[in-house]
Amino acid sequence: MPVFLCALVLILSVVAAEANWYFPPPPPPEEFGNLLIDRTSTKNKVKPVTFSHWSHRRKHTCQVCHSELDFAFKVNVSQITEAENLAGKYCGACHDGKIAFDHGKANCEKCHNGDRGYGKEKFPELASLPHSRSGNRIDWVRAMEEKTIAPARFLKVKPTPGIAYEKTLMLEAEWERVPPAIFPHKSHTAWLECSNCHPEIFNIQKKTTKHFEMIKNLAGEFCGVCHLTVAFPMSDCRGCHPTMKGWQ
Amino acid sequence: MKKWLAIVLLVPVFASFAHAQTGTKKRRPLPYEYGGVVIKNFSSGAGLSPVQFDHWLHRAKYTCRLCHVDIGFAMKANTTGIKAADNMKGYYCGTCHNGKMVHGDRKIFEACATKYTREDLKRCSRCHSKGENVKQDYDFGTFTERLPKERFGNGIDWEKAEERGLIKPADYIEGVSIKRPALAVQKDFAIGAKVETMPEIIFSHKKHTVWNGCELCHPEIFAGIKKGMTKYSMVEIFEGKYCGACHMSVAFPTTDCQRCHSKPVR
Repeated sequence: MPVFLCALVLILSVVAAEANWYFPPPPPPEEFGNLLIDRTSTKNKVKPVTFSHWSHRRKHTCQVCHSELDFAFKVNVSQITEAENLAGKYCGACHDGKIAFDHGKANCEKCHNGDRGYGKEKFPELASLPHSRSGNRIDWVRAMEEKTIAPARFLKVKPTPGIAYEKTLMLEAEWERVPPAIFPHKSHTAWLECSNCHPEIFNIQKKTTKHFEMIKNLAGEFCGVCHLTVAFPMSDCRGCHPTMKGWQ
Repeated sequence: MKKWLAIVLLVPVFASFAHAQTGTKKRRPLPYEYGGVVIKNFSSGAGLSPVQFDHWLHRAKYTCRLCHVDIGFAMKANTTGIKAADNMKGYYCGTCHNGKMVHGDRKIFEACATKYTREDLKRCSRCHSKGENVKQDYDFGTFTERLPKERFGNGIDWEKAEERGLIKPADYIEGVSIKRPALAVQKDFAIGAKVETMPEIIFSHKKHTVWNGCELCHPEIFAGIKKGMTKYSMVEIFEGKYCGACHMSVAFPTTDCQRCHSKPVR
């Protein structure tokens, strides 16, 4: 009996270690960051909504939708309804027929198409943006720095000027032979507000964000809130651990 | 042996629950939900739904000080221990909700009672409304339409609304409040941030005293005898202490970083 239990412990620890290296398979660049929203669509007998992050982030920073319009960071969580959209909330803040196409009958299929690859014929328009190794194969941060794109920071309510907090953090890895991760505040605050990440995702106690480990990131917590499916994916190890050898 | 192993295996499982507060994103309350408090000390014992108290309606009509100092409501939900009997004696909610007091052109409805008719039950559910389908007298959207907008919280700039006279929160109730000459308002001052390059905090006594007087914060939350005497950090504020006593759940939330961290250092 004890032998069996010891074996179980061994298997569990191997499984746990394995999870540290499980990266979800990458979709094609033109589908990276695309979501199918189906909180109520199928129930209401319409097709799920395709939402493309790449087509929206060309023109808007993350904080426009995720702070001002209050979209959650997880799909199917925000209570988006037709009524809310028509009242100018959520998608309806722009999709009103003035800023972007409206919620009318002629446009149903533009969102409610259930096709994750919808709109990919427009993806080549982004060919002039700086390239990267992963995700959409676009270096969005550089694109904004070089002013190839100039995404808006707000729609209606102008935020007080941002806090110019630019400190780059060096995060020592827990594992031997894994070089430290470099975290630049600057490239994050260009797109996000402080409160998008603090204090809910990362508390601000120095070096004591508890359980901030790779396995949690890969489970969609901490960096994984964005860096799995929207911002460049974690399979691009050197995106964060720049001196990592033998990997991408 | 078996038990011992089970404990070893379970310890990390429980440890992972203990610090579940970071790492994920919570749902942000909607503007009309912000500042909502559910009071359920004795409600279910009396066979009633918990009380849903919304700060937005009350703060448009009364200052914070009036309820939290003169009437004596605690600053944390369910720590006051409000009893129907006390309400009926004219304490807590019953200070105003006595069926006699008038605000503007409206008589304020009576809160609790020992004798009531079937008809009166409707009145109970005006407060004991959590989980009930109650149509309130005031609709958030209509009520706040004309008020200046802000980001986060109720989506309303309460400070500006008061400054412009769009709301006139009362600060005095006959028989409860006592009129004394006001103390001179202390000057605004800067609080240095602990993290390098973080803008300093500009704290305005003037903006706070309109709603709070002195007594709401001093000396319990901040000792207030000497500047710099109370030591606190952002971590504690996020835990609901110090500024967080109000600015996490009722006054504009800490998510609006720049509203306090407003003086760039450079």
